[in-house]
Amino acid sequence: MSIQILTVDDSPSMRALLRAALTGEGYRVDEAEDGRSAMEWLASNRPALVITDINMPRLDGFGLIAEVRAQAQFNALPILVLTTESSPEKKARARAAGATGWIVKPFDPAKLAAAVRRVIH
Amino acid sequence: MLTLAIAPPSLRHTLMQGEHEVSGQDGLVLSTILGSCIACCLHDRSSAIGGMNHFLLPAPPNGLPGRSDDAERYGLFAMEVLVNAMLKRGATRSTMRAHLYGGANLHVGMRAIGSENAGFARAFLAADGIALAHEDTGGGDARRIEFQPATGRVRCRAVVGRLREEPVRAALPADSGDVELF
Repeated sequence: MSIQILTVDDSPSMRALLRAALTGEGYRVDEAEDGRSAMEWLASNRPALVITDINMPRLDGFGLIAEVRAQAQFNALPILVLTTESSPEKKARARAAGATGWIVKPFDPAKLAAAVRRVIH
Repeated sequence: MLTLAIAPPSLRHTLMQGEHEVSGQDGLVLSTILGSCIACCLHDRSSAIGGMNHFLLPAPPNGLPGRSDDAERYGLFAMEVLVNAMLKRGATRSTMRAHLYGGANLHVGMRAIGSENAGFARAFLAADGIALAHEDTGGGDARRIEFQPATGRVRCRAVVGRLREEPVRAALPADSGDVELF
């Protein structure tokens, strides 16, 4: 059974690109189009990692991180933020909310794979 | 600096390759000149804002046919920063309308990089569910674009016999995708 990763991004193009990069590394990828869909999926799934965008409708990346961290069962779930945002304020906000790491787009597949290996135990 | 400070505000912004701008300002015109580069103009009637970018995909390694992964990521980034800037100002993908311009093939007999760039932009819009309302791409002439973001009005004119120089093809910055673990 391969390791499962949830990607959360409102852009289908970005989800497709992430899927290609991660499945190429042997991971199993599930996708959600915003934070709300991600929370619904997480109600019945236990991925090894969540990779989330910040700007999304319904529930954004900050909201998603906060809701995930509010559940004791997801205390140790790594959450990587993958975003076009590069402001220190937003990065600090994600960190305070409980994000595990911050990656600025456009992502580099080799760097992403290395980060994924580091945070998945 | 003082003369700049007291000069009347410019209502025309020129976008260079790699730039994008979103605005709802009345009377503002976003202008750019395109050879093989692409400009995507997005307008959202419900929020009365618009935005434009200007980009060229990086060349595939060794001149291989098709788009490289780098090109895919770079193009996606160029489109995503524009779309995100629109979404932040209240637009939605379902109410946005796109116009595509540029993508000329300036040199007969050479690789049709203009068409490749236009094809990428078209595929992105389709995948992301953004309606393509108008497209004026390809051909052999450069274009001058004037876009009013507040109204969505676009003026596209051929720039005949000019701009024979290919622009520098973009590359991903070395620090792109850097990872910071907290």
